Amino acid sequence: MLPLNYAMLKYFTCHDEACADDVMEALKGEYSSFTAFTKPKMQEALMTAEKNGLISESRFDLDGAGEVRVYYSADQEQRDTINSYIK
Amino acid sequence: METTATAPTDRALAIKKKKALDASFFKKGIAIAALSSIMYALYTAFVTGGQLFGVWGNWFGALASTSLVVVFILPTIASGINDTLSAIWATLVTLKQGKIADLGRCIASKPGRIVILAAFIGGPIASAAYVIALSQAGTLAVPIAALNPAIGAILSRILYKQPLGPRVIAGIVICVIAGVMIGSTGLTGEAAPGMALGLGLALLAALCWGIEGCVGGYATSMIDSQIAINIRQLVSGIGNLIIVLPILTLVCGGTLAQSYTYVAQAFTDGSSVIFFAVSGAAAYLSFMSWYRANAMCGTALGMAINGTYTFTAPFATWIILGLVMGFDGYALAPIAWVAAIVNLIGIFLIAVNPMDLLKKDGE
Repeated sequence: MLPLNYAMLKYFTCHDEACADDVMEALKGEYSSFTAFTKPKMQEALMTAEKNGLISESRFDLDGAGEVRVYYSADQEQRDTINSYIK
Repeated sequence: METTATAPTDRALAIKKKKALDASFFKKGIAIAALSSIMYALYTAFVTGGQLFGVWGNWFGALASTSLVVVFILPTIASGINDTLSAIWATLVTLKQGKIADLGRCIASKPGRIVILAAFIGGPIASAAYVIALSQAGTLAVPIAALNPAIGAILSRILYKQPLGPRVIAGIVICVIAGVMIGSTGLTGEAAPGMALGLGLALLAALCWGIEGCVGGYATSMIDSQIAINIRQLVSGIGNLIIVLPILTLVCGGTLAQSYTYVAQAFTDGSSVIFFAVSGAAAYLSFMSWYRANAMCGTALGMAINGTYTFTAPFATWIILGLVMGFDGYALAPIAWVAAIVNLIGIFLIAVNPMDLLKKDGE
């Protein structure tokens, strides 16, 4: 089992695009009991990864509740970088 | 990046909320960087205070200030005890947050090994280099070591392609000048015999801290900052007491039995160890905030804000040891206050493009 942040980054190596809700939905089976498995913390982790060039913002819109929803993606170079650090 | 096609009012609201989200993240990064400086200041004040009481007072009172034990061994022990207690605090918090299993998993991973290496470089190696630099070059070592934010920013540009334009470079130069101004307050103008070695080691310490800030920050974009700092303090505490202390002891011609007797006495001395417990907690919060801020703000801004410790550390030491506890000799030189303002100007220049402010005013 990977640490939560690693699993979050790994998700982008095999999915074209995702927002925090998508990642949480995909990981909830294994990680929902983790203290860091909350929307604000996951969003912050995604923004930190984006700040460091591991993933990129692709688009944003409003979700059903009227909250902003930011989508991220990883190009091939970013996927290679993530895979080089996280096996 | 584009916004998803929606009604114009929705799009305007989405843009507004996205800007608010970005601004909130940026402000949080700056606040965490400022916290790292404040906690570093408390760590400095309490680790200094701890060495004024109990067995420490006896040792420093009985030994000559130029003796090898005072110059090399006791500072290494103080650093080792602080970092070990800091690691205990960090581990307790990791346990409380239910992240202890992730700690083990991260240590076994490549980012975990990178944090271990960064911690060893920025912890025991830099600390030992800095302690020796101070003994050989005197306070000239301080402004040299203050170059570390500039080194970290340059390394982040090279290693991680972080932006480093003319405005940011100018801001870093101003911050380094502020660090040099504060460091220069203790200059005596005397050239010690080991000056060249001392200055070289001070530069090595700056390089080590620059590497740690840059590499540790990047690793924290992958590893949870709580786990990263738990690893960092474990490595630093163990490295200081198990690796650096024996090496320095043997180089200084001492005996391991004597050095570890000092360690045992320091750990069991109630009047001073309480100070190290507080300094260890502050160090844990400081380094965690430092790594996290560097990851959130980028190394240049994160390290520049953290670098205000050149002012906040002596300031907190003056407040706690000088004003509250009544010890003499901790008052700040007037230039330190000026340097603090210079430092803030440098940070502002790194964080904000003045042209953006002009544009906003013109709108």
